[in-house]
Amino acid sequence: MMFRHRRTVAAAALAAAAVSGMSACSAVLGEEESLVDATSLTVGVKADQPGLGLEDGEGGFEGFDVDVALYIAGELGIPEGSVEFVGVTSDQREDVLDVEDPLLVSGRRVDMVVATYSITPVRKTEVTFAGPYYVAKQDVLVRSDAAEIGGVRDLEGLDVCQGEGSNSTTRITEGLGIDVVPTEEPTYTDCIDLLREGDVDAVSTDNLILAGFQTQSPGEFRLVGNPFTDEKYGVGLRYGDVAACEAVNRAISKMYQDGVADDMLSRWFDGTGLETLDSVPQFEGCA
Amino acid sequence: MPPDSDQELGRDRPGSPPAPSGASPARGARDAGAVVGPPALPGGADTRTGGYARDRVAGARRWLRTTPARVWLLTVVCLVSVAGLFGSATLTLNQAREGLDVVGHGAGPQAMTTTDLYLALADMDAQLADILLMGTDHGLGSGRDEAVERYEESRSRANEALLQAASLIEDNAEEGGAGEAATGEDGAGEGRAEERSVQELDLQAVLDGMGEYEQLATDARLRNDEAQAPPGEVDATALVSYRQATRLMHTELLPKAFNVSLDSSAIIRAHHEEGQSAVALGLVWVGSAGVVTLVSLVGLQLYLRVRFRRRVNVPVLAATAGTLLLTAGVVLALVTSGEHQRDAKEEGLDAAMALSRAGAISTDMQADQSRYLVDPTHADNYQQVYLERAQQVLFRPADNLEDYYAAIDEVAAASSEQSEGGRADGDAPVALGYLGENAGDSLLPGQEGALADVLVSYNALQDRDRELRAAVEAGDLDSAVAVRMEIAHAEDGAFRAYEQALDELTGQHKEAFTAGIARGDSALAPWSWLLPVGALALLALVVLGVRPRLAEYR
Repeated sequence: MMFRHRRTVAAAALAAAAVSGMSACSAVLGEEESLVDATSLTVGVKADQPGLGLEDGEGGFEGFDVDVALYIAGELGIPEGSVEFVGVTSDQREDVLDVEDPLLVSGRRVDMVVATYSITPVRKTEVTFAGPYYVAKQDVLVRSDAAEIGGVRDLEGLDVCQGEGSNSTTRITEGLGIDVVPTEEPTYTDCIDLLREGDVDAVSTDNLILAGFQTQSPGEFRLVGNPFTDEKYGVGLRYGDVAACEAVNRAISKMYQDGVADDMLSRWFDGTGLETLDSVPQFEGCA
Repeated sequence: MPPDSDQELGRDRPGSPPAPSGASPARGARDAGAVVGPPALPGGADTRTGGYARDRVAGARRWLRTTPARVWLLTVVCLVSVAGLFGSATLTLNQAREGLDVVGHGAGPQAMTTTDLYLALADMDAQLADILLMGTDHGLGSGRDEAVERYEESRSRANEALLQAASLIEDNAEEGGAGEAATGEDGAGEGRAEERSVQELDLQAVLDGMGEYEQLATDARLRNDEAQAPPGEVDATALVSYRQATRLMHTELLPKAFNVSLDSSAIIRAHHEEGQSAVALGLVWVGSAGVVTLVSLVGLQLYLRVRFRRRVNVPVLAATAGTLLLTAGVVLALVTSGEHQRDAKEEGLDAAMALSRAGAISTDMQADQSRYLVDPTHADNYQQVYLERAQQVLFRPADNLEDYYAAIDEVAAASSEQSEGGRADGDAPVALGYLGENAGDSLLPGQEGALADVLVSYNALQDRDRELRAAVEAGDLDSAVAVRMEIAHAEDGAFRAYEQALDELTGQHKEAFTAGIARGDSALAPWSWLLPVGALALLALVVLGVRPRLAEYR
């Protein structure tokens, strides 16, 4: 990311402090760089989630997350041409935002992560989250012809696939006390393939992710539509960048007030049967 | 002014240099002899015409080499730098006062009221769920009449908070404009200007949504009453209306109310940080002016010493010491008041607002118990949502409520042991969320007991929750409804006890806020007279020190 030269005042103060040999200006010295002063931006998005973040084969990315990131960048005063996208995996999300020693992706330092990144109390100790920009719900995807599955409780004893490292089936077994047989696959694409083949009965994860897969094979699957648990998709920022977090929150509010969020959701998830919300989610707060 | 082109060269004459009147260097004749410079001008023909200006320059140069001129010059430098010190200190002290005023008496306290909106709205939905749950048994808990009354109270409080928040945003709009010009922080200014409309639109949406909510709420109540629904068995058509109402509340009203409150905190943070960096910059100016003044006073002292062979010029020495004291005093006052302001904001206001939010979310959380009972179809969801809200308030890793109850039990036990000095800090399980690390970090000395009370009463609330859900699982709906209405009892319910403990802790932080701002104010207060008096004294001392020396030339 590059910065605007808005720090001239601070620089002048520093110079003056050096000349006068004063050290009482800790507030000036303590001023850290914030994303609000950036003129370019590198955003981490998912590369393998249709509808959210998907590599388009020409080095670009597309999806709801990508659109959200571009809108936020625009509100931060960064033109679309100065926004770069890189693909990040779920495991990499905290590491690329590490304050001390960030993991570089394709040699780039990632400034912001918009990658179906759920805000949790534990993650909040490492990452500053703006948003959520969307609250997804955990849901279950089944084959369209599986008429016997009407709700989560009907999954009792059935095979449910989840992505590696996910704990969405734990929420069904532990959280709701429904005995399902969990299967784990490296990615959700693999789960979807198993579901299509009939090797599993259901795939469990966030409804927005499931809806994205639905758009790829229209009519083949349906959401059970009994959403439980909130997955608050946040905008991951470097820990402590409160000013940027507040600015991003403002941008998200505006995105909903403008009706742009609604347009984006329609663009990516129309026809999936997913009931999207067109009203701004409750933010987590930046502190 | 008549041209004095015919003035004699090589002589000091009054009026020839741009010197202050009274300098009358011509009278310092014994010095004039000492001024032996090279002939400033070749006495050529051009002195008549273009040489006039050069004459003046040369005259000035020569005058400047005289002792009284140098004393004058040094004196003027000293006086100007004292004035500079006074000016920079006045400006910076005013900035610090303004900052304290905005955070302490303006936007700060007003922002507190924005958290009320969320609380009032959440309570409306909670009371409505309780009324539906009670059905025909009007004597459950603290009674239906009480619940209806509290619903109405919360409704008026919500309306009031909406109006207050709207006027707060208008005020900020005005202040924001002024602040922008003063600080020149164009980026932050823009952000705030825009956010005004973001906040305004959110509040407008809440206002519009409230009308719709009330219609649905009334509809649900009427239908349930008409159907004579027994406790715990809400009429199906009433339930349809309630689902719409609570959905509207949770998707449209509460999130916006919450975001408006967060925005108010963001505005205060921006005010605070802009103010603090303006003061930090001011400190540099004050310090620099102080150093310049000291250097010029020492310069004057040394010159007088060398020129007049006196040991020490006492008034100038006193002025030097005075400058040191004045500069140090102003810097100290600014730094101290800045620290008080920061403490007031972080340990007072921020902490109180975070706890108010915890209270508001808890209100919504305990209402999920009623929703869980009112709407069996979505009971799973409401149970999950209950756990999620609980984990926002106080987080320990837990996948289900059973694990959560156990984890919270530990936290509460550790906290009360700790507050009694029985357990070391390191042993306590680390909890996150509003009442976890957040509350712990902003804990003031002596507050351990108050926080422990909050955690213990929160744990008691969770114990009752366990009881409620066990009754449901055992198929004993009546007991479950009875437990729920006991929890919600207006006077001695478990939730009331928790609310009171939380209010106590919040109140302490509010007091810390007021006290911190008052300390900040009083650190600055004496300087409103000390600074002008001190500056005048410095000026007087300099004049006093120099006058007798200059008099020697009269």
